[in-house]
Amino acid sequence: MKIHKIIILIGCLTASLGLHAQNISDMRLNEFLVINTDDFEDDYGHKNGWIELFNTSYGTVDVGGCFLTNDPGNLTKYMIPKGDVLTKVKPRQHTLFWADNLPDRGTFHINFRLEDSDEILFVSSDGRTIVDRIKIDHSIASPNVSYGRTNDGIGSTDGSGEGWEIMKKTSPSTNNVILDGESNSMKLKKLDPYGIIMAITAMSVVFVALIILYLLFKWIGNLSIKKHQKRSDDVAKQNDKAEHKFEETSAEAYAAIALALHLYREETELHDVENTILTIEKSKKAYSPWSSKIYMLRETPQLRKRN
Amino acid sequence: MEEHNIFSLIADNLSQFYEYTGFANATFGHILMILIGLAFVYLAIKKEWEPMLLVPIGFGIIIGNIPLFPGLSVGVYEEGSVLNILYQGVQQGYYPPLIFLGIGAMTDFSALISNPKLMLIGAAAQFGIFGAYGIALALGFTPAEAGAIGIIGGADGPTAIFLSSRLAPDLVGAIAVSAYSYMALVPVIQPPIMRLLTTKKERLIKMKSPRAVSKKEKIMFPIIGFLLTAFIVPSGLPLLGMLFFGNLLKESGVTRRLAETARGPLIDTVTILIGLTVGCSTQADKFLQWTSIKIFILGFLSFVIATAAGVLFVKFFNLFLKKGNKINPLIGNAGVSAVPDSARISNNIGLEYDKTNYLLMHAMGPNVAGVIGSAVAAGILLGFLS
Repeated sequence: MKIHKIIILIGCLTASLGLHAQNISDMRLNEFLVINTDDFEDDYGHKNGWIELFNTSYGTVDVGGCFLTNDPGNLTKYMIPKGDVLTKVKPRQHTLFWADNLPDRGTFHINFRLEDSDEILFVSSDGRTIVDRIKIDHSIASPNVSYGRTNDGIGSTDGSGEGWEIMKKTSPSTNNVILDGESNSMKLKKLDPYGIIMAITAMSVVFVALIILYLLFKWIGNLSIKKHQKRSDDVAKQNDKAEHKFEETSAEAYAAIALALHLYREETELHDVENTILTIEKSKKAYSPWSSKIYMLRETPQLRKRN
Repeated sequence: MEEHNIFSLIADNLSQFYEYTGFANATFGHILMILIGLAFVYLAIKKEWEPMLLVPIGFGIIIGNIPLFPGLSVGVYEEGSVLNILYQGVQQGYYPPLIFLGIGAMTDFSALISNPKLMLIGAAAQFGIFGAYGIALALGFTPAEAGAIGIIGGADGPTAIFLSSRLAPDLVGAIAVSAYSYMALVPVIQPPIMRLLTTKKERLIKMKSPRAVSKKEKIMFPIIGFLLTAFIVPSGLPLLGMLFFGNLLKESGVTRRLAETARGPLIDTVTILIGLTVGCSTQADKFLQWTSIKIFILGFLSFVIATAAGVLFVKFFNLFLKKGNKINPLIGNAGVSAVPDSARISNNIGLEYDKTNYLLMHAMGPNVAGVIGSAVAAGILLGFLS
């Protein structure tokens, strides 16, 4: 029993090793701009390079306590302050950091500039785990031209730049790829105005699901019937054997059994009808403290008489 | 002068108070909806038509249509009001999976396990959903709205609320009231269709008694059933997961207290909340529209199509079955969920033609298969249309 518990505990611990608080591992570096002369400007009206993070998950992720750095040797260079409500990135949304080396200006102003950096790293709150990294290729960095993931959040996280490209236009805090605004529902209306394709597809799926279930339980049912049949056969065989033995029993044995039973009844005063009573009256159950309301209620304070 | 001022002040106050009362804000729509609510309550109490649902919904309609002065944070659509908070369970879809948990804990799948081919009837009856979907599209509804309306044909209130809250939140009230109304009207809608589509000879078919099902099979059913259906339609997870989980609580035999809570106090509590808030959501200004009337017509059609599809499918299926194994087509109607009313209808109609032909146990098979089928269909619609 103890071994089972230990195995379960080890299993739980092993499973939890890969987990990160609030799914920090779902965050990605999504786009960055190195030289900003005529692009987006911060709340102070200044133009600086910026880094965009993207939450790839369908849950809110708080990046407070995580780190941004441009130095693989110093992974905790800029800690994103904790406790700022704005560091909570909503599902499939972005957040923007200004690389102006002016951290006093607020949570979203980091302490290095991209012009002086060769790489950007996003590090988990443990200060050790690199969640995402990307190399900065200064040879292709042009003013006001950003570098980003072709499809938001998709591509390498090892710095190789797979899935990254020079963006046709900058898109800070918005999607790099403009999604088709038409919903599935509207597309379906164009393709299938009378719902015939939908009806055939959906009914096929419903039937397939229930046909598989039917086949499985037909098979399980057959197995169960066979098993039951086998058990019945075994019981029948045993009964046959018993009957066979019964036939071989001699008259003396019958007489001995009858005498033994007679003596047993005489001695113990057994009777044919048990002392059970059939009644429609409510039966009384044995008292149990588990069902007692007394133990669930607060006791009434006792009035103590003064002497 | 002073005295006059006091009187005028009191008169002003009373006049202002009158502005807040229901009498000052009442419209024809409010009165009509209150009458509809009263009719629901009457039908539930006097005729005993789905009283567990029609009493909360009917009274909810009355609550929701008390004329209100806007901005008091009282109405169901006013953010922060008590009714609005309770209504979140419908809007966000919390209630339907909890009801499915209770349904799972009270459903005995033995009839289905003993004769698994009855599952196919539960699948066939889902045709009502997609028939109504096509008609709704033709009437100009968007595909998402059409899907939410079509699910009324699944005859499963929680599924209808769950799907409409995701696909067409504005139509939840009309769809839910329509679904529950037709579920209450199952004894009126289904028998004529069943008689019309069957011959006397077919109605007299006697089916083999279902075999006894072992405990092991009963335990395996929710596990295998869940894994299979959820892998095929993951979007139906909230409903399928809760349904089969509830059933496992019942059949495992070791979680009796949990099963009793799920099929007792829990489902009762959620039924009260879902019924009341759905009723409240039918405020006259949002409910009394042509769209609601169209939804009621489409809901009726989807019920009719589903019933007919179930009965006709059994007749078709019988062509491939040996003489002793034929299925009585009167159990085809039970493929629409509406547990256990539609199964009871099968039994009653069967007894009308042969006093010894009890179809209840046989009809429970397609009936519970219909619950699974409608949850799967809802998952498919959600996957395609959201």
